[in-house]
Amino acid sequence: MSRFFNALRDGVGFDVLLVGAALLFLLALAGAPLLYNVLMSFQQVDMFTLGVLFRPFVGFDNYVAVVRQPEFWLVTRNTLIFVFGSMTGQFVLGFALALFFAQKFPGAATIRGLFLVSWVMPGLVVGAIWSWILAGDFGVLNVILKSLGIIQANVFWKSDPNFSIWAVIIANIWLGLAFNMLLLSVGLAAIPRDLYEAAELDGANAFQRFWTITLPMMRSTIGAVLSLGLIGTLQQFDLFPALTEGGPANTSNVAGYWSWQLSFQLYDFAKGATVSVMMFVLVLFASIVYVRSTRHEVRG
Amino acid sequence: MQFVKLGLLAGLAVGALVAAAPAYAQVTLKVWSIDGNDRPGIADTFSKEFDDANDDIVVEYRYIPFDELVNETLRAFATGNAPDIVSFDNPDFALFSSRGAMLDITDRVANSDIVSKAEYFQGPLNSVTWDGKLFGLPKYTDTIGIFYNKDMFAAAGLTEPPTTWAQVVDYAEKLTDPANNVYGATFSARAGEEGTFQFLPIIQMSGGDANKVNTEGAAEVLDLWKQMIDNGWASRDVLSLGQWDSTGTFNAGNAAMAISGPWEIDRMVEDAKFDWGVALLPTITEGGERSSALGGFNWGIMSTTQHPDEAFRLLEYYVSQEDRLFPEFGNLPARGDIALPVTGVEKKDAALKVFQEQLQYARPRGPHPEWQKISKAIYDAMQQALTGQMSSMDALNQAQATIDTIFN
Repeated sequence: MSRFFNALRDGVGFDVLLVGAALLFLLALAGAPLLYNVLMSFQQVDMFTLGVLFRPFVGFDNYVAVVRQPEFWLVTRNTLIFVFGSMTGQFVLGFALALFFAQKFPGAATIRGLFLVSWVMPGLVVGAIWSWILAGDFGVLNVILKSLGIIQANVFWKSDPNFSIWAVIIANIWLGLAFNMLLLSVGLAAIPRDLYEAAELDGANAFQRFWTITLPMMRSTIGAVLSLGLIGTLQQFDLFPALTEGGPANTSNVAGYWSWQLSFQLYDFAKGATVSVMMFVLVLFASIVYVRSTRHEVRG
Repeated sequence: MQFVKLGLLAGLAVGALVAAAPAYAQVTLKVWSIDGNDRPGIADTFSKEFDDANDDIVVEYRYIPFDELVNETLRAFATGNAPDIVSFDNPDFALFSSRGAMLDITDRVANSDIVSKAEYFQGPLNSVTWDGKLFGLPKYTDTIGIFYNKDMFAAAGLTEPPTTWAQVVDYAEKLTDPANNVYGATFSARAGEEGTFQFLPIIQMSGGDANKVNTEGAAEVLDLWKQMIDNGWASRDVLSLGQWDSTGTFNAGNAAMAISGPWEIDRMVEDAKFDWGVALLPTITEGGERSSALGGFNWGIMSTTQHPDEAFRLLEYYVSQEDRLFPEFGNLPARGDIALPVTGVEKKDAALKVFQEQLQYARPRGPHPEWQKISKAIYDAMQQALTGQMSSMDALNQAQATIDTIFN
């Protein structure tokens, strides 16, 4: 008996205890809701069965019904545009800013810190601000673009089906830019200076140094930033109700917002769960990439 | 032994107290509604009055934001914590009444000295009726018409408000003045309930309804609306503006006509620095069939209540105070037997007259337990047509296909 308690305090038992506690926590707070969601996507859910666990089983009916919705492919297309557009914008601009602030000039660190303001702001506030900026008749952006002579007539960012998804992407890039920049700055700071000095002595130009030192050394950071960006973008919600509500005619609707609409506006909880399970598969894929890229770090 | 006896006595005493308690106990009624957040509303004011006037009943009033009301009630109902009385927006009511979540009050109303079913307008009454039974009572009602800027009309040489949709477009062209940032007309074609609220009456005018949306007339009017947007006679932002913001541009003098309802009147009296009037919602052809949207909330007692008699008494109190709806809260009663007092504000009184006439043509959305899905099919089609992604008829046909799966 005392050996058992000894093992619990110091030894294999202690390890198991720690791992067990962490696993229990994960299962209760992440695993259970997740499984419940998956379960719900295979059930028929209405207001009388909302509070119970075992509801009529309908197989893949919900999945078939979701794919058959006339807006399904439009939403899929929008989700892809939104994810790649946002991520590309956030990453490229974030990397450019990170490289810029990596140069030693007075105030670089302070200004870089100030960029966090956009990251701290709640999404709904950001959405409201961009809603004014992007307004069609009296929006600031249209006034600026017009005075620069770039456009002749007002662009109705939020109401024109050709621009609506881009309106949300612009706001989302702004929102996620600081986070990308900061993570990439940390990665840049971790690259030993002497590598660059040696390369310079060997006559490598700035582009070659970037291509052969910065990028390879940043591999795991970039992997992490992109995966976190994918997850964050797929989870983006606040900007949609604040800017376009998915309209006009679903041209700016994405999977996350659609899932919410199905569940909490159309009260079709099963279909809402189904869409979120489909998204989960995508996020799972991103998580695997993320875990693989950080595992590399731990070993090193 | 003595000890046991004492214990028994004590037990008896406690038992007697518990048994006697209900005679003095108060009945607690829970009331949920969206009223009373930023200013006193109907439900919170009347509930408090009833609570103060009745010692045997405690009314617990809870304010719930509009967007959360249905979800919160669904959740409460599923977990057995539902309120006794709840006030829903009228298209949401059937979701509950059709599934037996609301108490059937047909007989209670028939026997009531206070509530008289015959006095209610048909539209609001339909929204609380399911399967021939009465599951609630209309709380207040509203509808939409067309506001027009009389000064701009005079400047453009127009004297009368438009009576058909073709005229609306014709006038909008004449009234548009890009140099002064003036659009001819504004309305709300938003992706949401407000969009359906403004477009469903058009479908109804053309002989259709929520179960038959792909009519020639509806497609025709959609083409007219699209023409206004494409030509810049209406802002493209009507696709994302709600009714309150859309009419705000009218009040600011940036639009010469606006489709909206009586809730705008008070703000318009304050903000609009010009002469304005209201006319009935235009029809498709001259003298053609009329229709208009039916807004407003309903009262209902939930079927899970433990105190149906007390709850109905509270409902009767609400009804008995309905002559105060307009003077105190600015809402229109859903009954024909309450005369609205003259306010003395000339434009307001004239507008109210028009809206009261319009109410006779107001038709409910549904009632249908899956109204929200029908509504989405309708506003999606409207937006697809207005943005030119599909022809009006194709968009309405697609909506019809979706709606058919809901009705069949």
